[in-house]
Amino acid sequence: MDASATTQPAAIRVEGLAKRYRAVVALDGLDLSVEQGAFYGLLGPNGAGKTTTVSVLATLARPDAGRVQVAGHDVVSEQAEVRRAIGIVFQEPSLDRELTAREHLDLQGRLYHLDDRRRRTGEALERVGLAADADRPVRGFSGGMKRRLEIARGLLHRPRVLFLDEPTLGLDVNARAGIWEQLRELHAAGGTTVFLTTHSMDEADALCERIGILDAGRLVAEGAPEALKSALGGDVVEIGFEQPDGCAAAELLARIEGVLSVTREPEAARLRITVRDGSRRLAALLEAVRPHVVSEVALHRPDLEHVFLHHTGHPFEPERLGGGG
Amino acid sequence: MSRALGDTLAILQRELLRYRRDRAYWVGQIAFPLAVVAFIGFGLNDVVRLPTGADYLGHLASGILALLVGSAGVGGGMTLIQDRESGFLRALLVAPVSRTSLVLGKLLARALASVALVALLVALLAVFTPVGIPHPAAALLAVVAITVAFVALGVVLGTWLRSVEAYRLLAGLVTVPLYLLSGIFYPVSTLPAATRWLSYANPLTYGVDLFRYGLLGVNEFPVAVSASLLGVLTLASTIGAVVAFDRGLRE
Repeated sequence: MDASATTQPAAIRVEGLAKRYRAVVALDGLDLSVEQGAFYGLLGPNGAGKTTTVSVLATLARPDAGRVQVAGHDVVSEQAEVRRAIGIVFQEPSLDRELTAREHLDLQGRLYHLDDRRRRTGEALERVGLAADADRPVRGFSGGMKRRLEIARGLLHRPRVLFLDEPTLGLDVNARAGIWEQLRELHAAGGTTVFLTTHSMDEADALCERIGILDAGRLVAEGAPEALKSALGGDVVEIGFEQPDGCAAAELLARIEGVLSVTREPEAARLRITVRDGSRRLAALLEAVRPHVVSEVALHRPDLEHVFLHHTGHPFEPERLGGGG
Repeated sequence: MSRALGDTLAILQRELLRYRRDRAYWVGQIAFPLAVVAFIGFGLNDVVRLPTGADYLGHLASGILALLVGSAGVGGGMTLIQDRESGFLRALLVAPVSRTSLVLGKLLARALASVALVALLVALLAVFTPVGIPHPAAALLAVVAITVAFVALGVVLGTWLRSVEAYRLLAGLVTVPLYLLSGIFYPVSTLPAATRWLSYANPLTYGVDLFRYGLLGVNEFPVAVSASLLGVLTLASTIGAVVAFDRGLRE
């Protein structure tokens, strides 16, 4: 934490946050801090506790333990102040199907007591490209249009902190690119702290200045995406075998010079090797597994998936193993 | 204070926008009482004789309108579940608006919608039944009290229940006995002693009676008694709804 952080209070400060729903522990001693104006991403697989975190930060769920401050206010004892300072785009839709886009924004403007809500509504509809559809009921909107309306609503009152819970989940590639573009513009304009949750590695990598990796209710790693990746200190080589017994070569590989770690993925009949100077050592690696029939080889720089694997010891999404990016 | 009022009006306006667009609702709510009066009322009018000697048609027509107000109130409570299902409720809960304003907006919206509906139906029924509006203040108080009580009941149920189906079922189980024991179809005084006491304990009885006084000038209980009971009921229901909403939606 640098000197400016002590004069400027953090936009979000979480200490020892715990939250359980009946028997399920959703958050288990979460600590995190987000500076003002930052674009922060909370990355984790489904069920890691991302939505619970956002719910607590946005005053919709009460923490069982810990201290949570947003925009300098306590989320339990100063709910009204926190609510005034934040905007939120929920993961699940939160629109009234019978109201039009304009009516949604107008209501938002009234609830946040904006004097110039008419002008802001017009501008916001323009900005998210819904001006032509402003007076149609939301019922007829596509998924992308709904999400854009939710973003316009979340930003209408110019919140100091904007929460986005999986903002592009379920959207097609074009809609997703459009939303990324808008979020980048918003952040470039400055002033708003953005806190985004995602289970998409690409999204975290493409948008966020800093990411926190959440797994089973705890933060396992935090930093700039590039820093997290280069901290692994090497390249990743993936070797797939015809037969699962190829994984037996793991011990041999681990003895090769420059190899930092070897992870077995027996279900996929694959080994994942972190190695310094991967391209120069590839031949040696293949030589070492020679008795087994190799079906595929891949060499790449570590991505966030490897970062996750490194810090948690298990793959991000088991069913999607080894996609590599 | 003016902030809270502004919030309440904003919520009220949103609810009214929804009601206004729900065409099926209005068609049903207008057609149902007219059909009951036309198909049942005229037939029974010659068969049923009230102890007061008054026309049964007026009794039934005013009773059906009271029933309509009650069921509209139950429907108003159901909007809480609908808002939860659509996710819109979360957007309201995260806004800097008090829970009280959210609940008052819902209560007022349904009350206004019911007053409009009753006014329209009274105008239509006045053509061919003895129903009129000799005591508008009494009718207004009765409509507001019945609405608020039933919306409040709906809010209490709505904070527990997650599905519209469960809500409909449970709301029916609770409200049908209230309707049957309230003098909607026949005067309470004609009931056997045992059920008559249940009717006396039923707050809706006084709502129906005051409503009927408003529309026909006929009443079984002193107007002052009904009016004060309903005033208390309205206040208690409002407080109950606010408390239930606030407690029920905490995670």
